[in-house]
Amino acid sequence: MGKYIMRRLLQIIPVLFIISFIVFCLVYVAGDPVALMLPEDASQEDILQLRESLGLNEPFYIQYFNYMVGLAQLDFGESFRYNTSALPIVLERLPATIELAVAAMIVAIMIAIPLGIWSATKKNSAIDVVATGGAVIWKAMPNFWLGIMLILIFSVMLGWFPVSGRGTWSHLILPAITLGTGIAAEMTRFIRSSMLEIMNQDYVRTARSKGLKEFFVIHKHAFRNALIPVVTITALQTSTVVGGTLITESVFSWPGLGQLLIQAVNTRDMAIVQASVFIIAFIVIAMNLLADILYKLLDPRITFR
Amino acid sequence: MGRESLLEVRNLKTYFYTEDGVIPSVDGVSFTIKKGETVAVVGESGSGKSVTSLSIMGLLDAAGKIESGTIIFEGNDITKLSKKDRRKLRGNEMAMIFQEPLTSLNPLFTVGNQISEAIKIHQKVDKKEAKKRSIEILKKVGIARAEKVYHSYPHLLSGGMRQRVMIAIALSCNPKLLIADEPTTALDVTIQAQILQLMKELIKDKQTSILFITHDLGVVAEMADQVIVMYAGQVVEYTDVFTLFKEAAHPYTKSLLASTPKIHEQTEKLQVIEGTVPNPNAMPSGCRFHTRCPYVMEKCMNNEPVLTNIHTRHQVKCWLYEEEG
Repeated sequence: MGKYIMRRLLQIIPVLFIISFIVFCLVYVAGDPVALMLPEDASQEDILQLRESLGLNEPFYIQYFNYMVGLAQLDFGESFRYNTSALPIVLERLPATIELAVAAMIVAIMIAIPLGIWSATKKNSAIDVVATGGAVIWKAMPNFWLGIMLILIFSVMLGWFPVSGRGTWSHLILPAITLGTGIAAEMTRFIRSSMLEIMNQDYVRTARSKGLKEFFVIHKHAFRNALIPVVTITALQTSTVVGGTLITESVFSWPGLGQLLIQAVNTRDMAIVQASVFIIAFIVIAMNLLADILYKLLDPRITFR
Repeated sequence: MGRESLLEVRNLKTYFYTEDGVIPSVDGVSFTIKKGETVAVVGESGSGKSVTSLSIMGLLDAAGKIESGTIIFEGNDITKLSKKDRRKLRGNEMAMIFQEPLTSLNPLFTVGNQISEAIKIHQKVDKKEAKKRSIEILKKVGIARAEKVYHSYPHLLSGGMRQRVMIAIALSCNPKLLIADEPTTALDVTIQAQILQLMKELIKDKQTSILFITHDLGVVAEMADQVIVMYAGQVVEYTDVFTLFKEAAHPYTKSLLASTPKIHEQTEKLQVIEGTVPNPNAMPSGCRFHTRCPYVMEKCMNNEPVLTNIHTRHQVKCWLYEEEG
């Protein structure tokens, strides 16, 4: 198993290499940040000087070479806005994002598992219709709209939770619900269809034939099997979750990576953009690796090779 | 033959409520299993054999419902029991072995877990004792390295081994009735023989009754005391195994026997029964076999025959014998 993880970690390197190239190209074609960095009345000379000092006058390949040399030392360059190295700023924001993502996942799991199992075992019942219909509606609801509605109702009108920011538990609840329920909508549908398939398997009938209580038939024999595809799909959705945090963080002024990234894009703070995208890509890859390991732990038929 | 009866099925009707309408899968089936007796149910796919057994076990899926009839098990009508009381019988008083050993065991749990689970539910013993008993029963079903197999996952075992494990699970609580739904169909011929032999040995001194579902007449000859021949959800012939092979009466049974290849008769072509089992939501009128019957008469088409005694303990549902009965 250790060997397998090592090999998978080594495979990450070329993937990150490709991602870094794509990120660089995107930033390159995004255009000149200098105009935004200087005051409107800056002279042509100032502009040229700043360009020169940032190395923006060099040809594409030289710029890319410089960028890669920096990257090899985990140096994404200096942030224009913060005037310090970009990576520490990004890493400083990371815990807030992880906190939100984990809280959202807990919300999602707490909703999706019971609801998915319930609607599968009571197929076509009122509960099932409401749960599946609700999931479709919820999935269609944009994150930012739901976030604003929650703020309006629970913060502004009822005053139960703070409007924005981070600090206490109560700050976390609304953003976690906003992000988590969206994930739950998708997850409920996966769990439902996975459970429906598993409930028809022969071993579920065997479990019943032993005289097992229906609760154990469903939760021990069926659910464990249904979980395997759900884990994979959820891990593959990490990128969606990250995308969701970007929006949710902006709505709630949550001081995380997403908010930082959006600000950096708006101000063309390219060092921050590059470092953020790089870190996000790394998280997505790491989550996929984690899913593969979980997969193995859940299913004894799968061996590491 | 003065043995006590263990299971009496009387006029059982099991219907499936589907989107295409009501499907009468089992339509008025009656039979009796005595203690220690093996009764084989024979018929083509779709004849209602498996649904009969699932009705007895109480394992019908949501669409299936016992419409009418009684299932008397040890004197009690179990169709009237609550779900909870029904569950207490399952795996304990009556157990079942299924056709597909490869998919009947849960891939995520060890063999030991799946055997001891049944023991723990019904015998109220602790983990250690359940393990001890599980290993004992694994040895009894002829598994050599029982200790090792106890800790194995099903995917590491062969089909024959898995069916042995299934038998071990079924027999772990010494059931009075064992329902075997084509337990050897998915296995190699040599393994088939071993499994049948094993089942015979295991029940020999336990007085376990078996309801043996099969389409293989060779297996019937090997295992059964009584035989029920089913066609399109109904019993068409019901007799003991010797009578069946010596003087089968119903045209369907005769065709079934004729379509079994015999080793000492060199024939170019296998005998087949023309046509297929009728679709359950479009049953032919009259005798359900009349569309395929070589002896079909005028009255077979519109009037349904009844199951009549043509000799002692030999019942046939056919107009050919109506006068004689």
